[in-house]
Amino acid sequence: MFVPYPLHVLINQAGNTCHSKHIPIPTSKSEIQQISDSWLLHSVLFLVQSWMEPLLYLQTTLDRYDDAPNALLSKTKWVSDKLLSLEQGVVVLIRKMLDEGIMASSTIFDHTQSPYDGQFPEVLESVIRDYHLLTCFKKDTHKMETFLKLLKCRQSNKLSCLPQ
Amino acid sequence: MLPSLSASDANKGPHLTGCRSSEQVTFRCWWSSGTFQNLSEPGALRIFYQTKALSSDWYECPDYTQTVKNECYFNKTFTRIWTSYCIQLRSVPQNTTYDEACFTVENIVYPDPPVGLNWTLLNVSRSGLHFDVLVRWTPPPSADVKTGWMSLVYQLQYRVKNNTYWEMQELESGTQQSIYGLHTDKEYEVRVRCKMSAFNNFGEFSDSVFLQVAQIPSKESTFPMALVLSFILIGVVILLIFIVISQQQRLMVIFLPPIPAPKIKGIDPELLKNGKLDQLDSLLSSHDMYKPDFYHEDPWVEFIQLDIDDPADKKNSDTQHLLGLSHSGSSHNLNLKNDDDSGRASCYDPEIPDPEDLASLLPNHSEQGEHQHSLVSRSSSANPDFQQESEVVETPIQTQPSWVNMDFYAQVSDFTPAGEVMLSPGQLNTSPEKKKKEEENEKKIQFQLVCDGAYTSETTARQFSADVPSSPGPEQEYQAFPTQGVEGNLWNGDYLVSVNDSQTPYLLLEPPPAPVLPPISDYTVAEPPSKSSFLAAYGLSAQPR
Repeated sequence: MFVPYPLHVLINQAGNTCHSKHIPIPTSKSEIQQISDSWLLHSVLFLVQSWMEPLLYLQTTLDRYDDAPNALLSKTKWVSDKLLSLEQGVVVLIRKMLDEGIMASSTIFDHTQSPYDGQFPEVLESVIRDYHLLTCFKKDTHKMETFLKLLKCRQSNKLSCLPQ
Repeated sequence: MLPSLSASDANKGPHLTGCRSSEQVTFRCWWSSGTFQNLSEPGALRIFYQTKALSSDWYECPDYTQTVKNECYFNKTFTRIWTSYCIQLRSVPQNTTYDEACFTVENIVYPDPPVGLNWTLLNVSRSGLHFDVLVRWTPPPSADVKTGWMSLVYQLQYRVKNNTYWEMQELESGTQQSIYGLHTDKEYEVRVRCKMSAFNNFGEFSDSVFLQVAQIPSKESTFPMALVLSFILIGVVILLIFIVISQQQRLMVIFLPPIPAPKIKGIDPELLKNGKLDQLDSLLSSHDMYKPDFYHEDPWVEFIQLDIDDPADKKNSDTQHLLGLSHSGSSHNLNLKNDDDSGRASCYDPEIPDPEDLASLLPNHSEQGEHQHSLVSRSSSANPDFQQESEVVETPIQTQPSWVNMDFYAQVSDFTPAGEVMLSPGQLNTSPEKKKKEEENEKKIQFQLVCDGAYTSETTARQFSADVPSSPGPEQEYQAFPTQGVEGNLWNGDYLVSVNDSQTPYLLLEPPPAPVLPPISDYTVAEPPSKSSFLAAYGLSAQPR
């Protein structure tokens, strides 16, 4: 079963508890455009690494549902794989652009991130939690995309990418 | 909450009608007082917002737009993306909250429409009926796509003007798209809209652009061309038909060459008819007939033999069968036009019966079973066989009766009561009438065989050899000889194969070693059931070697 439309409101209101909240990320365009390359890259790496484990958790919970669409399951798996590739790419960028050596690691976070160890909550609660997780994931990937696009713009033409 | 700008819910009380951002930097919210007319004055209703990121306090709308009624504008200092906002519509005097909505700004982004729509003609089809265009546009000026702040995808729609149904193209991340297969002389309307690539909020449509391509009047010129071409084609076909009809004979010769009837050079077929055997004999004997190649072409033609097991029954049955042959021949429409073209029997003659019919005419029809009969057979082609067999096979000729010294052309004169076939000349025992009858019979069979031999009718041979009653099954029908004690000599349809251990299999197609021929006649007698005589007729030994 999946979340009926009216429950979206509940989810949005509870949407402030995305786990990536503890990274201070600027939230306006002008501020973001003033961030340095180094900070952009490190933020992206941090975001990528913070989502690897929750996605794995999401895969297991989605498997548990009886009527989860196959497209959803396969997409989640696909996204997990892509995230790994993304991490490797960002590590390479950091090495090349910032001349820093960084080890790709996906276990930065402690495992208390997933607070549902050992218990199997009931389906509706689990579904709402998963939905919330996916919403947060979408937000964070939008952040990654914005940062990387900004970086790309700066690489191609520094002048036009400065804040106007 | 998905913001909507519809005014359909005017029956409700005061409510928020929507919040939108066009460039992900600022956003606006609108509300309506609904049915509460007393709250419609400006200032009666107020907007309060809360960003949980900063604090839990509610702040009032930073800017009520002067020019637009019931609009609250959040400029870029108050807009934070990736941040959750909650908006409330309150009436301050009564301290009541009429509506609330929560969202994040990137989720309410509806980009402005693209601008600068124009089109260029790519090509026109050869028929002049269709054309392709390339449509170009530029991103909305408010959206900052250059720095990658917004990633837009575009959707192009087109329709025939004044049509109600819009054709939609695939989403395009670039700023141009082609449309294929448009019809000339129709006016089209094209428009574009865009949305953020990861979100689902399409902005408004751009202004439509109209395009039309005039139809090139080349269509009319192709019509008569098609007519002309078809006329030419018909004329050519008629010409061909005329040629074929006029040159029919020549074409027939070229394409369907006639298979030559068996003619012997220097021999007038009329001679045969008149029965001047003496002259014929002299002609034939002087003529070099023993060309191996000739025989190899149709080796089996000459071989018609059927063995007879039961001599007792044969006596009357044979004669009757032979006589009956003529009857059944007529009944089976076996008229080979003896009167006209014997010897020149055209094998295209449709009157020539099937091999099955022919076989049924044979005295030893398979249904009859036990009866066997002898037939006159030409064994001229048997001579090459004999040449090869002569090494291992004792020449049976010496043991044969007088017929071995017969002339080239011998004709059946009569059947003796013992079942032997008497050959003329010189052995005329019957009345001329009977002799003539048998003569005719012989000719009939002979010509039939010849004609059939013109076509490799293996079935005919099979039919003939099928007359051996003692052989069960089709495969063994060629082994008529073995059943009668002749081992190792098999009919193989087309050629005689000897499988004697001491002999190599003989293939008729091989050229004989030397044309040393015993003085046997071209036409030998099909001996009645006597084994040895029968075999001897073909130069074969009755005893296995």
